[in-house]
Amino acid sequence: MCRKLPNRMLGVRGGGVNMRYLILGASAAGINCAKTIRELDSHGEITMVSEDKYIYSRCMLHHIIGEMRTIEEMSFAEDKFLENYKVNWIRDTRVEKLKSHDKKVILDNGESIGYDKLLIATGASSFIPPVKNLREGKGVYGLRNIEDALRIREDAKKVSSIVVLGAGLVGIDGIVGLLEQDANLFLVEMFHRILPMQLDEVSALRYESLFEREGVTIYTGVRAEEVILSKDNRVTGIKLGNGKVIDCGMIVVATGVRPNVDFIEDNTIRVNKGIVINSRSETNISDVYAAGDVTGESPIWPLAVKQGITAAYNMVGIKKELEDSFSLRNSMNFLGLVTVSLGLIEAPDESYSISVETYGDNYKKIIHRDGIIYGAIIQGDISYCGVLTYLIKNKINISNIDKDIFDIDYSDFFSIKENGEYEYVV
Amino acid sequence: MNRIKVNRDLCMACLNCVLGCMIEHNEKGKGIYDLDLEDISNEGRNHIGLDKNKCPTPIICRHCEEPECMYTCMSGAMTKDRDTGMVAYDEKKCSSCFMCVMACPYGVLKADAVDRKVVLKCNMCNGREIPRCVENCPTGCLELGEEE
Repeated sequence: MCRKLPNRMLGVRGGGVNMRYLILGASAAGINCAKTIRELDSHGEITMVSEDKYIYSRCMLHHIIGEMRTIEEMSFAEDKFLENYKVNWIRDTRVEKLKSHDKKVILDNGESIGYDKLLIATGASSFIPPVKNLREGKGVYGLRNIEDALRIREDAKKVSSIVVLGAGLVGIDGIVGLLEQDANLFLVEMFHRILPMQLDEVSALRYESLFEREGVTIYTGVRAEEVILSKDNRVTGIKLGNGKVIDCGMIVVATGVRPNVDFIEDNTIRVNKGIVINSRSETNISDVYAAGDVTGESPIWPLAVKQGITAAYNMVGIKKELEDSFSLRNSMNFLGLVTVSLGLIEAPDESYSISVETYGDNYKKIIHRDGIIYGAIIQGDISYCGVLTYLIKNKINISNIDKDIFDIDYSDFFSIKENGEYEYVV
Repeated sequence: MNRIKVNRDLCMACLNCVLGCMIEHNEKGKGIYDLDLEDISNEGRNHIGLDKNKCPTPIICRHCEEPECMYTCMSGAMTKDRDTGMVAYDEKKCSSCFMCVMACPYGVLKADAVDRKVVLKCNMCNGREIPRCVENCPTGCLELGEEE
């Protein structure tokens, strides 16, 4: 079915001149914004500027470290994307300044580009915490860009031991990629379990033992205290808070990100944890939109995509609100064990009930109170669990469904829309 | 576009649609006699749910207008063809993160049972005139309908 285009004149400036759309960033939010603009406005000029030299999925960097995919195979955009969607892409280029009063940006090559509508989707950068010598050391890498992954891959061949700092999703991805290389691996996490934001004790311990079986040494509940450097500033080891010293030639830092907003002038666009946007992806400055990790909201792929699409609609002049900003959802697949984590991972107090089901390789936990599900961890067989995502996200009351809570499925909410799609009846 | 229409009142949970799907996507051949029900590597991409009153409900990909599986896909494996309406899945691009399984609000998707590497996703039988599930449905519960 073709998306119906509204009949009124979209994306046309005064005098019938085509609209100039400028998109900063070429990842989840930027690409989806460009694509959606083109679907809605066939005439407008779309320019995309990015520091990235390639279009690639940042969620797959472990495939580069582990040499499982080529750079071309990292792309999440369709073949001939730029051609098909008529996008002018200026790659390998930084934005130095945004002059929002003049509606233009200054690039690092000195050129400036004017716009009618601007999307800022410049993403975020690895945050290197203020551990002694960590920022100075040679052989310390973030894991954010494909260039990071390529450097880690090359260096990993030259060292015998590698420490990964931070056992969130990025750190674990790093470990998964590095397992394909030969070095000894150490994982250091401040919290007392790995993946503390996504998993509870039981589900995290299963991954810990899987990684340990692969030869990874895991230290939880401990901080990095000091990096030990050689005379020429190369990393030779790391000292932990418990006094333990790990000899290593490389450190991969996965302790969070900070939004890329250094090109924004003071007293223009409002920046808090990141660029502040409303549900239409609008910033406080008219004609300037933002989407994805640069907003400092939860850095998950689907949110970036949806904010980018929402921005696109509003940029061409169709009012659209993002209704779904539920971001406490993650799926992971490490060493053949799959887990989905939704909403709360632990019950906040005793007023909540916890239902647990374990069989074979499966661990399933649902946290609920008064008929509303607040969180779930599904490990092992995750079949059809998208229903739980919907129920949690929309706080659907299930107390009138007389069924085992693990058996509730879409059939309990079945309804057909006029166009044949499903919808929920609650 | 063509969409497989579901009239739940006519479903009697005979599972012919599931068998049809398994037959059509069986690597060993597309005839009923090629079907080995003990072969767990051959799975249906649709299933029948039972609601709290044990009322059977066909759960079959809608190829949604706003496909959650596609929005959440970080590898580019899920794409929507705006001309045919189909939401297609490319298992070569797939990175097996299963965000799509988590995102489909109707619980249509699952990972394959053997390797947990690919997603089982309806492809409208790859251009077959009548999808196998519809052809196999003896009650008229499933029909191929033209949507605007």
